[in-house]
Amino acid sequence: MEKNNIVAPLSKSKNKRKPALWQIILIFIFLFYMLVPILSTYIFSVATRWDRTILPEGLTLNSYARAFKASYFNSSLRNSMILSLSTVFVSLCLIIPTVYWVHIRFPAAKSFLEVLMILPFGIPTVVLALALVQAYNVTPIGRTPFLLIGAVFIYSMPFMYRPVANALRAIDAHTLTEAGQSLGATTFQILMKVIIPNIFPGIISGSLLVFATVFAEFTLTKLIIGARFKTFPLLLVEYTRINGNVAAAFSVISFTIAWLVSLLILWVSRKGQGASAEALRAR
Amino acid sequence: MPIQQRGLNARNWLGFLPFLLFCLAFEFVPIIFLFRGSFLDKTTHQFTTNHFLSLAKPLFLNSFWNSIKISGLSAIIGVIVGTGIGYAIYRWPSEQFRHALIALSDVTTNFAGAPLAFAFIIILGMNGVITQFLLKYFQYKLYPKFSIYSFSGLLLAYIYFQLPLMVLIIIPAFAGIRKEWEESAKSLGANTFMFWWRIGLPILTPSLLAGLTLLFANAFGAYATAYTLVESQLSLVTLQIGYMIAGEVRHDPGIGMAMAVMSLLIMGLSIGIYQVASLRARRWLRS
Amino acid sequence: MAYLELKNVSKTFTNVVAVKDFTLDIEKGSLVSFLGPSGCGKTTTLRMIAGFEQPDSGTIILDGVDITPIPPNQRDIGMVFQAYALFPNMTVRQNVAFGLQMKKTPKDELEKRVKDVLEMVRLQETAKRFPHELSGGQQQRVALARALAVRPRVLLLDEPLSALDAEVRVALRGEIRRIQSELAITTIYVTHDQEEALSISDRVVVMDKGLIQQVGTPIEIYRSPQTRFVATFIGTANQFFGKVAGKKLIVSDGLKILVAKMNSFKEGEEVVVLVRPESIHVTTEQQKREGWNSISGVVETVTFHGAVTRLGVNVNNRRIVADIVAAKTEPISLNQKVWLMFPIDVCQVMAKEG
Repeated sequence: MEKNNIVAPLSKSKNKRKPALWQIILIFIFLFYMLVPILSTYIFSVATRWDRTILPEGLTLNSYARAFKASYFNSSLRNSMILSLSTVFVSLCLIIPTVYWVHIRFPAAKSFLEVLMILPFGIPTVVLALALVQAYNVTPIGRTPFLLIGAVFIYSMPFMYRPVANALRAIDAHTLTEAGQSLGATTFQILMKVIIPNIFPGIISGSLLVFATVFAEFTLTKLIIGARFKTFPLLLVEYTRINGNVAAAFSVISFTIAWLVSLLILWVSRKGQGASAEALRAR
Repeated sequence: MPIQQRGLNARNWLGFLPFLLFCLAFEFVPIIFLFRGSFLDKTTHQFTTNHFLSLAKPLFLNSFWNSIKISGLSAIIGVIVGTGIGYAIYRWPSEQFRHALIALSDVTTNFAGAPLAFAFIIILGMNGVITQFLLKYFQYKLYPKFSIYSFSGLLLAYIYFQLPLMVLIIIPAFAGIRKEWEESAKSLGANTFMFWWRIGLPILTPSLLAGLTLLFANAFGAYATAYTLVESQLSLVTLQIGYMIAGEVRHDPGIGMAMAVMSLLIMGLSIGIYQVASLRARRWLRS
Repeated sequence: MAYLELKNVSKTFTNVVAVKDFTLDIEKGSLVSFLGPSGCGKTTTLRMIAGFEQPDSGTIILDGVDITPIPPNQRDIGMVFQAYALFPNMTVRQNVAFGLQMKKTPKDELEKRVKDVLEMVRLQETAKRFPHELSGGQQQRVALARALAVRPRVLLLDEPLSALDAEVRVALRGEIRRIQSELAITTIYVTHDQEEALSISDRVVVMDKGLIQQVGTPIEIYRSPQTRFVATFIGTANQFFGKVAGKKLIVSDGLKILVAKMNSFKEGEEVVVLVRPESIHVTTEQQKREGWNSISGVVETVTFHGAVTRLGVNVNNRRIVADIVAAKTEPISLNQKVWLMFPIDVCQVMAKEG
């Protein structure tokens, strides 16, 4: 691309323009609405008392201390981690091979797969919970973490599917597979040695998304198992009715984990763009 | 891939099987049971429509009406305000700022649930920051006229995650409106209003419809935010179903399943329209 | 006074000068091409005429009126874009009728105009179809019909054919020229394809780096290029770099070249002599002819182009290109020694720069 190309500026890149007043007002309202609840939670978590004045009466880290010492704090974090990581693992094992298989060997199922990946958005979590509880209550897996993992997998599978499917499309999997076959590899070998390394950023994005989604999941956990498998969000809701400051501290921990994951996803996708662009050029 | 290996033969189903079985086990079969249970009388094991008829009782009818009301309102407000904000972002001169706002929207739209509800309690609860602010500086008593633990309070919380969702949907739609169309229209004598009225808005319509239906479905299925904020104060479909699962209320389980089936129908319709609308929207982007 | 006048029009974008001091008169009813490589300023100039860019300085006068401050939707100027830009939510008929609706044309007249203009581009049967159902060539014809329906005072075309297949391009450019002459509409045609510009224009404006290099008829541009840029951009030219060594003589690396017109170059000045490949006669025996140059070399490449065969001849370690009409010459083979003969009046002498 010649850079001495004098291109007429697009409406998006008129860098000399200033934003109009209506734009500034709207964006200001937007930022206010979005940020005030979050900032207030942060401040509340370090406030001593804040129910009589505009600004908190004092600042303290006491709430965090109480939070970390809360009974079930460690166990709930552990449970959340177990649930999230297990779901990521199940997603990786089930979705990646399936998406590859459909892409290469079974394209007739592609639209069916796409529909399957939209369905979870059409099923409210309470309905899924009710269906699963009714169906499996009398079975051994009823009201166990295993049922929960199954439920949460269904709920989160579109989040793994989308990045992986996009990545697969971007690398021209067909040609790579044919190249692998011409060199004597089996489908499994191609998947493990050629495909997965090349869609790695997509896999990481998908895993992070599933992790974040499951980590924050409340409804399915509460309704399918409830107090017997207390995860972090369940603990948080409990404390909203007991101690507001500690609940705020939990909220802050919750956000912080969510921000970190979002940043990671952004970083990975940016690096991923570079890598796939590299790969496309080499072609 | 050699032709005879692709296609619908038995071996190809095999690779698809594990995933399909999983979906059957944890999604389809339970839901089929749900449908079955909603038409089944528990005691006589006979087909009945009684459960659905019971939904006409004020308790349940009320919950459906509330759910539809809050979903519809938050969706309409979300679409209108979100489109405006989306346009403001789209036309912002600094690319960095635009990306930052889009990233912010990405994060805040997933922010539904207990932490969100709690954050609203902090700012608009009885002793909330904004409540106090209004009292101190404007001598305006927010309570008891308004309560965050009510329909209007929950609506405010819902709007919080609906707005950024619409922003994320509408910005690519604006990007799909090509500059040449506006210039062509201008060269043919149209002014800016005429362009939007005859060309811009019609092209935007599928995205607006997609936004409306997605936002509606998003709100209708929400549970955690409502549970934390209004629990017993407001009757919503998702909350009712939740009570029945938890055994907190004693109703014929068939009624719960009938409610669930009705919800699925409502959601199904919504998501169905959403799919059609967003496919149409994508077609404009490609041209 | 010409119909469309541009006077000292300039435009700069951030750090880049897009157009510099552009002055041009365009006669009513003529087809003028702006020809040049990417980034030469031709599209920017066109867009300033349309009103989508504002010149930093200079004026644009149409039919005696200064249109520089007038917004684009009031200039009565039709435009056809490279990317067709048909409104996707409207049928062909609705697209074409759009401008007429903006002008509030009464229904009967509107219907008639739409029908006429669609007939003119030979697309009457597609009236009810949507743009995405048409091929690229058809879409461009609709875009043309849409611009013409309102009978604009000036028609602007911004590389209208570059997105199309070669075959469609040739057919369509003929159509555009036919319609343009029939309607006698003042037209400006921007392109980077010299064949296009030379084949349909009344006059060609060759541009480079924001400046006008030369304005002239296609024949003038081709046969009498005034700068080295024009000579090498249009067609192919062999370049002999050398010094003036007499009233009609230039010495280039040991070769003596006689020219008919030395213009104003003085003895000792560094110049370039340009000779077009088709002006060179190739012979296998040395011949002496009055008023002709003769240089010898060895054939290194022979490329068959169909009607013409292009020879790459090594003359003193320089590659000279000569085109021969296969049917009229004896067959020439590789490594054959040949004599290249060209008359002194096809030699163009130019300054080394430019």
